[in-house]
Amino acid sequence: MKRYARLSIPYIAWAAMMLVLPMALITLYSFMQQGNSIVSFTLTLDNYIRFFTDADFLLILWRSLLIALETTVICFALGYPIAYFISRCQEHTQNLLILFITLPMWINMLVRTYAWIGLLSEGGLFSRILALFGLGNTELLYTQGAVLLGMVYNFLPFMILQVHTSLTKMDPALLEAASDLGADGRQAFFRVTFPMSLPGVINGITLVFLPAISSFSIPKMLGGGQYYLIGNVIENQFITVGEWNFGSAISMIMAVIMMLLMMLVRRVEVRNSGGKEE
Amino acid sequence: MKTGKRPLGKLLMVLLFIFFYLPIVYMILFSFNDGKSLTVFSGFSLRWYQHMLDSHDMMDALYTTFSIAVLATLISTVAGTISAIGLSSSRKIIRRIMEQVNNFPMMNPEIVTAIGLMLLFITFQVQKGYATMLLAHIAFCIPYVILSVMPKIRSLDPNLADAAMDLGATPWQTLTRVIVPQIMPGIVSGGLIAFTMSIDDFVISYFVTGRGVKNLSIMVYTMSKRVNPSINAISTVVVVIIALVLTLVNLIPALAARRAKKAVRNVRRRRRVLVPASAAVCLTGLLLLVSLFHGRSSSLPYEGQTLRVYNWGEYTGENIISNFEAYTGATVIMETFESNEQMYIKVANGESYDILVPSDYMIQRLISEGLLQKLDPSLLTCMEDLSEDVLNLSYDPDNEYSIPYFWGNVGIVYDTTVVDPEDLEEQGFNIFLNEKYKGEIYLYDSERDSFMMALKALGYSMNTDNEEELQEAYEWLVTCVETMDPEIVTDEIIDNMAQGRKALGLIYSGDAAYVMLENENMEFYMPETGTNLWSDAMVIPANAANVELAHEFINYVSSYEGAYDNSSYVGYTSPNRDVMNDLSGTGGDYEGISAYLPRTDNENDEIFVFDDEIRKVISNLWSKVKIAASNAG
Repeated sequence: MKRYARLSIPYIAWAAMMLVLPMALITLYSFMQQGNSIVSFTLTLDNYIRFFTDADFLLILWRSLLIALETTVICFALGYPIAYFISRCQEHTQNLLILFITLPMWINMLVRTYAWIGLLSEGGLFSRILALFGLGNTELLYTQGAVLLGMVYNFLPFMILQVHTSLTKMDPALLEAASDLGADGRQAFFRVTFPMSLPGVINGITLVFLPAISSFSIPKMLGGGQYYLIGNVIENQFITVGEWNFGSAISMIMAVIMMLLMMLVRRVEVRNSGGKEE
Repeated sequence: MKTGKRPLGKLLMVLLFIFFYLPIVYMILFSFNDGKSLTVFSGFSLRWYQHMLDSHDMMDALYTTFSIAVLATLISTVAGTISAIGLSSSRKIIRRIMEQVNNFPMMNPEIVTAIGLMLLFITFQVQKGYATMLLAHIAFCIPYVILSVMPKIRSLDPNLADAAMDLGATPWQTLTRVIVPQIMPGIVSGGLIAFTMSIDDFVISYFVTGRGVKNLSIMVYTMSKRVNPSINAISTVVVVIIALVLTLVNLIPALAARRAKKAVRNVRRRRRVLVPASAAVCLTGLLLLVSLFHGRSSSLPYEGQTLRVYNWGEYTGENIISNFEAYTGATVIMETFESNEQMYIKVANGESYDILVPSDYMIQRLISEGLLQKLDPSLLTCMEDLSEDVLNLSYDPDNEYSIPYFWGNVGIVYDTTVVDPEDLEEQGFNIFLNEKYKGEIYLYDSERDSFMMALKALGYSMNTDNEEELQEAYEWLVTCVETMDPEIVTDEIIDNMAQGRKALGLIYSGDAAYVMLENENMEFYMPETGTNLWSDAMVIPANAANVELAHEFINYVSSYEGAYDNSSYVGYTSPNRDVMNDLSGTGGDYEGISAYLPRTDNENDEIFVFDDEIRKVISNLWSKVKIAASNAG
């Protein structure tokens, strides 16, 4: 097969240009002053200092982390039982259920989020249902709850699919062995099934947390103009304010935080799979 | 374990599917709504579909979405497969590094990838548009293809290739006849992932696009401010297209398999080829269909030429673009912005348009930075028809660069059933700090207008360069967002006030005129302490590609026909004298609507003056006000 090695050369060049260089540029821009050109510039830490010395920015970052975390927890709490249930069905039922979970993902995310605006707005379906219970004047749209709902709605399928894949990969003989060895259903689940499905859970968490923390379209559409997450701050820096260097710095901060979190999660995974072999 | 024994699980599944499909069903239902509302169904109608077909903005978005998805999928599947084969036979160290690099788009938040690509195109001065969007899509699709093809190559018997070559196959034959068929399932699933990623993409497209090229996501994002049931219609079309593609992709191989029953052994292999082949066939068919809607033919003065207009969202009359196209034969590509600042960033970075419609102070800025070209008076036929009040203003004293498009004031729209007019008379803009109306107010998401309001409320000039006054205005705004629980909106205010959802809002006079037409409880008030007298005007950027056509457009928009369509549809005041008089006079659309006629006789009213230092200060302070609002909420 060695003779095909040359086939990778164009891609290496392409990846250097389209994947590596952009990251290098963000890094570079984040250390440059506003108004510097790429030819002549001075390096500075000002952009980072500005972010970390401003309580408002830190609070936004904290709130974004929090809402991403909430989304992830809810997606896990809902997604795991659902995936578990699906994996217990007969194979053709499983395929059908999975197909119906995948289907909405083919429809544009923005379109699906837009659909929620009508459902949540005043006089819409949900406020009418609430009115039946005497909660007529509850504001639904443009609240934190709406943003959370939008995120769960968009990212839940990722969790279900990942967990389901890892559950179906499991050898059913393991469960039989467990019950032969005297484990009841509960023990079998917590000692065998759940640890075995952890890689899927970890992947699911990554796939939910990553888009949730950087999303700016969901907060803007369902949270309104006064609802800002870190993604909106970045968007605003690039699209409206035009301070790309500061925007790049915030992006770098977010990317680094994500990288650290992912490393942490992977470490948990390694420790768990290590523990399993005892 | 039988499913019948799990009522809880079944219930969960039912709830889940209601959750997943309710918005989609709701959207499809309301695409057939006769009325404009997203909450009340008032009868069956296909008008929003008609509206969608007429809007080539929407048809363009549909075409862009699908054509980019198909091209990006084809290119990245082929390139990804070749690269995966190459990488798997490369040295280990190269393979390792490339695996890490490939992970970038997957491990980074999407917005970071998007910004990286945007900076790349800007640094190397690549004109952003269709091509950059396609390149970006290919860039993030290839890693997914490689990721799905790689394991299949790994699981190949390494002796397979050698065996084929020992038997006399050339490397090319070995590749196409032995290796590729073996890894086909990986290629197909890689291609499908690429297609899904591309068709669903918003963030990356949003940052790397330009010149008015937009896909469905960008369109929905920029149009979602106003109630626009056509979005439901186009979404329904997308749902139908996707459903068709998926059904065909699943059906065709099954049918073919049945037909080829006798050649049982080949079925599996055929199926592998048939899935992508049938997918490709139906998508190409769809593309042809969409491009049929797209194309038009006739012979007119500007046949085949393109005019790129960069204008505010929801700021053009219903038929202006189609009439202009019918009469010149040109194609108009319209991109919309939400703020002058957003427009400025694109223009200053060299994106090319033929017509911009910025506001007064921004025109002054663009002129001072040499970004505009002088108009050619010999090509203009509209000067006679324009109102004196909106000509020769300070930002462009002799109208050398600009021809007004709309003009008006900023003021307060209020619900007469809730707000006491005396409060307004006494407090002016300070009513936005009156806790009696807590939770009942809309602020407008514009740094200029918000600071105008605060400065006028404090009795200062809105063009102040006094840092202390600005700081005071900032504190005024922070107090407002922290104590009054306002919603900071842009165009959402129009439909929401028309439906009486809140009692007070800072609003442009033209939007107020629309609100007052829709809801008779609404009134418009301008504080005696003064407000902003603004005008938006058409200008031609220095790097415009089609200057002559741009002049034609200016003439058409300023003509009675164009201006009437514009003003009666949008609600803003026309600079065309006759149109303004006819619309506000007896029998006109805006008879008795106070907000339609701008106030020109209050000496406290001002026009914005551009000052770059102040702009930076205000821009930063406003983004901090919004952050404070967000943290308070």
